[in-house]
Amino acid sequence: MGNTGKSVLMVNISGMEENKEHKSQAIIEVIDFGPLKITGNFILKDLKRDTKDSQGEVWLCRCGKSGNKPYCDESHKR
Amino acid sequence: MDREDKKFSGGRRYRNNEITVYWKPSACVHASYCYRELIEVFDPGRRPWVDMNGSTTAKIIEVVNLCPTEALAWKWNDDEKNGSVGSDQLNHIKFRRPELMNTNDSVPEEHPVSIKVMVDGPIVLKGNFTLVYNGNKKEVQKSIISICRCGASDHQPFCDGQHRKIGFNG
Repeated sequence: MGNTGKSVLMVNISGMEENKEHKSQAIIEVIDFGPLKITGNFILKDLKRDTKDSQGEVWLCRCGKSGNKPYCDESHKR
Repeated sequence: MDREDKKFSGGRRYRNNEITVYWKPSACVHASYCYRELIEVFDPGRRPWVDMNGSTTAKIIEVVNLCPTEALAWKWNDDEKNGSVGSDQLNHIKFRRPELMNTNDSVPEEHPVSIKVMVDGPIVLKGNFTLVYNGNKKEVQKSIISICRCGASDHQPFCDGQHRKIGFNG
């Protein structure tokens, strides 16, 4: 990751397309004004803390304020 | 996981959770070992004629190995296991149809979604998943997206690099 700007975003979105060959493995839900909810088949790696998780469901902070990053601790509500 | 009867490489392929069986009709000489031994799986009177749920993986492998031609061959879905298969497994693709060994027709991406929390940066998602945002639902296939984690992106929910400008630490 790293580069900046809109060009990165465009590339990301153009990669989204329907293809019946590949079954969706997880649901990634962006909660409005809240965290990222992830459910399903996934492996979560936290590169800073050198930890690895594979759970059925996690909530990841999107507001930058959580005291328990990368997880949501509901700081966005405060 | 019924993803059977897929056309592939001069024939069809059938799979269960563990193995894929390839069928190449042009090579069949009707020796009939397959349906005499295991009609539950190999039934020429049925469509599709191979039912991978009809028996155990071990039994299917045993019977596929009886086929005297390359009409039936098999492989593990887990590619790491294919390298170490011994030559007693007569009809493993390594011996019977080596041309299939390096084809990337692996199981239709049942791999878990890779989610990386980047140091002081975004969440990077890779794989096949359903993305729900702003009331939209998108099927994301074999691609990578990054989601803002610092809260400062101007292109929410996606990362636009703002974490660097604001010195995000998290």
